[in-house]
Amino acid sequence: MNKIKAFSTRNRKEILRDPLSYIFCLAFPLVMLIIMSVLNASIPKQANMTVFRIDNLSSGIAVFGQTFVMLFTSLTVSKDRSGSFLVRMYATPMKSSDFTIGYITPMIIISFFQNVIIYIASFIISIITDVDLNIGGMILSLIILMPSAIMFICFGLLFGTLFNEKSAPGLCSIIISLSGFLGCIFFDADSTGGAMLKVCKSLPFYYCTKSARACVKLDFSAGAFIIPIVIVIASAAVLGCLSSFVFKSKMKADLS
Amino acid sequence: MNAIETKNLTKKYKNKTAVDSINLTVGEGELFSLLGVNGAGKTTTIRMLSGLSTPTDGEAFINGKSCKTKIDEIKNIIGISPQDTAVADNLTVRENLDFMASIYYADKETINEKIEKITSIFNLSEVEDQKAKTLSGGWKRKLSIAMALISEPKVLFLDEPTLGLDVLARRELWRAIEALKGKMTIILTTHYMEEAEHLSDRIAIMISGKIKACGTVADLEELSGKKGLEEAFVAIAERGMSENE
Ligand SMILES: Nc1ncnc2c1ncn2[C@@H]1O[C@H](COP(=O)(O)OP(=O)(O)OP(=O)(O)O)[C@@H](O)[C@H]1O
Ligand SMILES: [Mg+2]
Repeated sequence: MNKIKAFSTRNRKEILRDPLSYIFCLAFPLVMLIIMSVLNASIPKQANMTVFRIDNLSSGIAVFGQTFVMLFTSLTVSKDRSGSFLVRMYATPMKSSDFTIGYITPMIIISFFQNVIIYIASFIISIITDVDLNIGGMILSLIILMPSAIMFICFGLLFGTLFNEKSAPGLCSIIISLSGFLGCIFFDADSTGGAMLKVCKSLPFYYCTKSARACVKLDFSAGAFIIPIVIVIASAAVLGCLSSFVFKSKMKADLS
Repeated sequence: MNAIETKNLTKKYKNKTAVDSINLTVGEGELFSLLGVNGAGKTTTIRMLSGLSTPTDGEAFINGKSCKTKIDEIKNIIGISPQDTAVADNLTVRENLDFMASIYYADKETINEKIEKITSIFNLSEVEDQKAKTLSGGWKRKLSIAMALISEPKVLFLDEPTLGLDVLARRELWRAIEALKGKMTIILTTHYMEEAEHLSDRIAIMISGKIKACGTVADLEELSGKKGLEEAFVAIAERGMSENE
């Protein structure tokens, strides 16, 4: 237990002391939140396009923010692997699960506070734009967003374990773009329908935003909330297991 | 019981034998140096002894425990300072030590005690609150070594500890290492003959993965018929290399 705590504290400090993490994990999502809100103001009502309205946008940006936590997870892991830091840690009594839990937990906490900040900003925007946002729904949605955070963080762990610090961010940026569009953060697949919607529905990202959005609106129907959140939890579980397994095998290979 | 014992310890990479069937015994509390030219297999030997690399053949024992089957127990009693400095960059010196200590100890008081102790041995107090990435190479190295020592290991591996240190820093580190002598078993690799001569109880000379000679400085002088460790090393190394050709 003390090993995991020590290692997560170290990882948390490494990330929170890197100014780049604030630019990507906070400033960028907040800027997007503002730009999209301004954009939304210029969309005519008749267009009936609501993805950029703050009650939809807030949870979309929250998920978007999580993708950058994924990026920083992958960077931390790949950097540790490329230098001799992780090798040195291998010679301590730390086990593979201590490493994976130690990488994942601080990122979950960082992602939680990131979402809190994004939601506070969203709330301010909702007041300015005079859109009703349910505070209870938002608070609940912060918890509902956690499986999605775990999924993205495990993607980061997976890429950081498999690739070096040059290729891992590249792969993460693919996931970032995929989730931005196919996760319906910056694009409304539900009203577009057709093949595009099918593609969205075949990837987990769509369900991350969908479940969080439904939660903000206190819509707990099966189609809007329950099925999507179950899919997200399942994806998080799969990626959690996969990334831990891959880390463990890589560690074994490193020590061969 | 010997602190370290190897039996035909061998490491082969695809088409290269990095360590070739070495037999070593190092007594408890001894400071044992591994000398050898670049690529001789010193780091590979240390990696196998500290569980960072699995031997292709042969066996190694630390305090009587097999590196094959008891590596989890061994990890509690060893410390390693890798050839490349390995510290957490964004953490301060103190936080790095705290981090390492927290892996071995749960009790805050014990942890602080260990930090104070190691900080004074390595004179780290003046850089205590400095982030590791802003340290000079020498200070980073000292921190890296201090981190290996914080758990007060029974066996300590120092892979080229004084690489890149200036003369004064090297002398200072020698003093720190000398202070540890007898308290733990130390395996040291170095390219500096005067360092090996100054610090070690016994020295092994490795050439192309094999131990060509092993003993005190006097033993090596006698074996080579040369005066001084440097001359003895050159003679043994050259003879060893020509044998391999
Ligand atoms: N992972 C590896 N894969 C293939 N060959 C390796 C690997 N690690 C080491 N070797 C080879 O094994 C040999 C011994 O390397 P090692 O690092 O043990 O030497 P060394 O004595 O520590 O040298 P130096 O003084 O330069 O540090 C070298 O020829 C090296 O190229
Ligand atoms: Mg070496």
